[in-house]
Amino acid sequence: MQKLKEKQANILTVVLALVIAILPLQNNAQSQDVREESHAMVLLRGLPTLDTSHSVAIVELDPESPDFGTIISEFEQPDMEHPLHHLYYSPTGRLYATGLDPVCSLAEIGLARDASGAPTVTGVNCLDTQGQMVGEDIMWHAANGNDYMFVTFMGGLGGTDGGSVGVFDPQSNGVIKVIEARRSQVGEGMPYIMYPHGISAYQDRMVVSSTIHPDLASGVGNAITVIDLNSLEPIENIVTEKENPIDLPSSPVEVLFARPSIDPNIEPAVMVNTMLGFETWKIPYDQETKTFGSPEVIYSGVENETGVPLEFYGNETELFISHALPGVVKRYKLSELPDLVSSGPDIIADPGAHHMIFLTSKSGRDLIAVQNNLLNLGNGADNDPTDVDFIAKLNAHTITVHDLQTGERLASVNFKERYDKGVENIEGLFGSGFVHHH
Amino acid sequence: MTQRLLISVIALTVLATGLLCYGLWRETVEPSATPIAGFSAPFVFGRFTIPEDNALTEESFALGRHLFYDPILSGSDQVACATCHEQQLAFTDGQARRVGLSGEPLAFSSMSLVNLLWGQRRFFWNGRSTSLEEQALLPIQDPEEMNQDLDSLIEELSASARYRELFARAYGEVSAENIAKALATFMRMLISSDSKYDQFLRGEVKLSALEEHGRKLFMAHPDVKVSLRGANCIDCHSQFLTSGFRDALDGFSNNGLDDEAGLPEGLQAVTGDPAHRGLFKVPTLRNIAVTAPYMHDGRFATLEEVMDHYNHGIKVSETLSPLISEADNSIEEGDRPVGLHLSEDEVQAVIAFLHTLTDKTFLSDPKLANPFDGKN
Repeated sequence: MQKLKEKQANILTVVLALVIAILPLQNNAQSQDVREESHAMVLLRGLPTLDTSHSVAIVELDPESPDFGTIISEFEQPDMEHPLHHLYYSPTGRLYATGLDPVCSLAEIGLARDASGAPTVTGVNCLDTQGQMVGEDIMWHAANGNDYMFVTFMGGLGGTDGGSVGVFDPQSNGVIKVIEARRSQVGEGMPYIMYPHGISAYQDRMVVSSTIHPDLASGVGNAITVIDLNSLEPIENIVTEKENPIDLPSSPVEVLFARPSIDPNIEPAVMVNTMLGFETWKIPYDQETKTFGSPEVIYSGVENETGVPLEFYGNETELFISHALPGVVKRYKLSELPDLVSSGPDIIADPGAHHMIFLTSKSGRDLIAVQNNLLNLGNGADNDPTDVDFIAKLNAHTITVHDLQTGERLASVNFKERYDKGVENIEGLFGSGFVHHH
Repeated sequence: MTQRLLISVIALTVLATGLLCYGLWRETVEPSATPIAGFSAPFVFGRFTIPEDNALTEESFALGRHLFYDPILSGSDQVACATCHEQQLAFTDGQARRVGLSGEPLAFSSMSLVNLLWGQRRFFWNGRSTSLEEQALLPIQDPEEMNQDLDSLIEELSASARYRELFARAYGEVSAENIAKALATFMRMLISSDSKYDQFLRGEVKLSALEEHGRKLFMAHPDVKVSLRGANCIDCHSQFLTSGFRDALDGFSNNGLDDEAGLPEGLQAVTGDPAHRGLFKVPTLRNIAVTAPYMHDGRFATLEEVMDHYNHGIKVSETLSPLISEADNSIEEGDRPVGLHLSEDEVQAVIAFLHTLTDKTFLSDPKLANPFDGKN
């Protein structure tokens, strides 16, 4: 009887084991509610001495999230010598990036969603630019009933006074025209395009800035170029140079054509930040006569102890201008443009304050995230061959997140410390406010 | 005797174990949660979420597809979900209000089932369900629609070897909960993303001049101060999905179909809030050219009639959406009908753009078709 009980027990054990082995598998939970309002798309630069690759990544930037600063997904570009430079969403939701590598000066980035709903980068498609190099800014604008994608190429087709504006078909990405006017070829006093970087437009007038040769040594500009969008030809240069705080030309960088579509109270004018002049300028525009007035300094970095003004960003009510030195974002009333009337306290970021996005936290707090790197070049302390002394001081390698209302710094992530990479550019996952022209 | 008894016990135990194993295999072994092969959705459609306990799997999709097309779901065994949701009509039925089992028209027209992973999280025209799983069981039980008792349905499905296996592979047991989950999965996979508009968004094609004009009108709220003309569609129909917005109850609107006296309950029937009277779910406009008649009660037979309504037929009531009442392309003042006041050319342009939302791939995708049809 005892043996029978043992055998029954053994059988029971086997049966139990079988039952346990074939218990129904649990369905994997696929996704929970995920906030994307605080996700940023960033371009990361691999740092030569740290053996890392350039990449496109999605990062959580909500200080209230336990995942703050975490790379959610990343698309590595190990074959690229130089990184992508600046992200832009087209009006139809396509994601583009300009690039610093001659083999990829302009790219379309593929995005999709996987079965969990998460965004994924599916690829980077480098576009044919017909030889135009070092892409900087992109602008979508209609002229004469046609839609165009305009791209500034600071290196243009090469040479010490190169630079071009590429006119692309926004659907096919094909080149329609390369606008080029070398100073050495157009003749004295004739309009030229050199090292174009910033771009903005109003009606049938487009302006591009003349910044600096991509090698940072061959030449520096001090003017903007006006382009007639009817003919797609340059028609005028306007010099924006006054003080020379570092004994170099002013190097106009970003431009913004302030116009009524931004705010109905705005009188049209071109606003210009001069990277090495440390100033912000305004150039009034008379849309009736299509003429520009005298340029005027409306902000002096020398007087205000700031330097290297870079970007124009905006939301529904304010304009934000980043100053890489000392690393601050100043804010102005949108409705008062083109004049700069302060709208609140400065946002104290880090040296190299550059691009920014607007986002919200989980609790609904309005935030601003600032990317703090001028050019992401290496630091001499790392024996980095890309070190440029002046610029190395403007590379904090951080994204700082602040309360939008008060400017209070809430959190910071250092990409060099955490990921051995520099952060080249930041954009909201779905875009954010307006940047430059848009 | 003892030995014989022992042998008998062992034999019975082995047999019982075998039967148990077989039964368990049929009911539970197979759930394997195979991810949907090659799943990819447009980034611009936005984030979607899926209930943690109802992952998108090939097994649940297969079960849901069978259930969707099977009249076994109705009390009479003659009405399937697909009866009122036909694939070639973007899962509508082409009728204003189908006649119910009592012989009277149903309260609402059949909604198109497309891109349900995104957009407003309340379902039905009046938002009476807050999940697809909840939604899925209501028409089955509705005495005017499929008039099925759930317990009876479970008995019928359990009697089918094919369904026992489909359930076993997808979830395990045959249950109302799993019926709902499977149907929800099938509906979540009704993704339309290959219309001409999608191809345009991907840069693969260009729209004609008329379609592009219509697209720009669709996307613009009119502003006479800056000479911006617009058809104002985007105020309610989002740019990419063309459905209502997801947040809170933003995806519901009173679009001026009825005056105060004739205003139906709409969302108020669910929320009890008088401010929601006359508000109905903003539907997707994807495949709109094949989903006539239009509106929650199918009152408009053509897109031209719809545009006539928005152009100069808006009826004013307390809950009329201000986004509609304030949208006017005309600078004329005085006692005029409320509406967009677009030109005829502009109306035709908007309609041309709406036709670009037809996704022929979706309308004929064999993976979404009737699995009982020999071709599929």
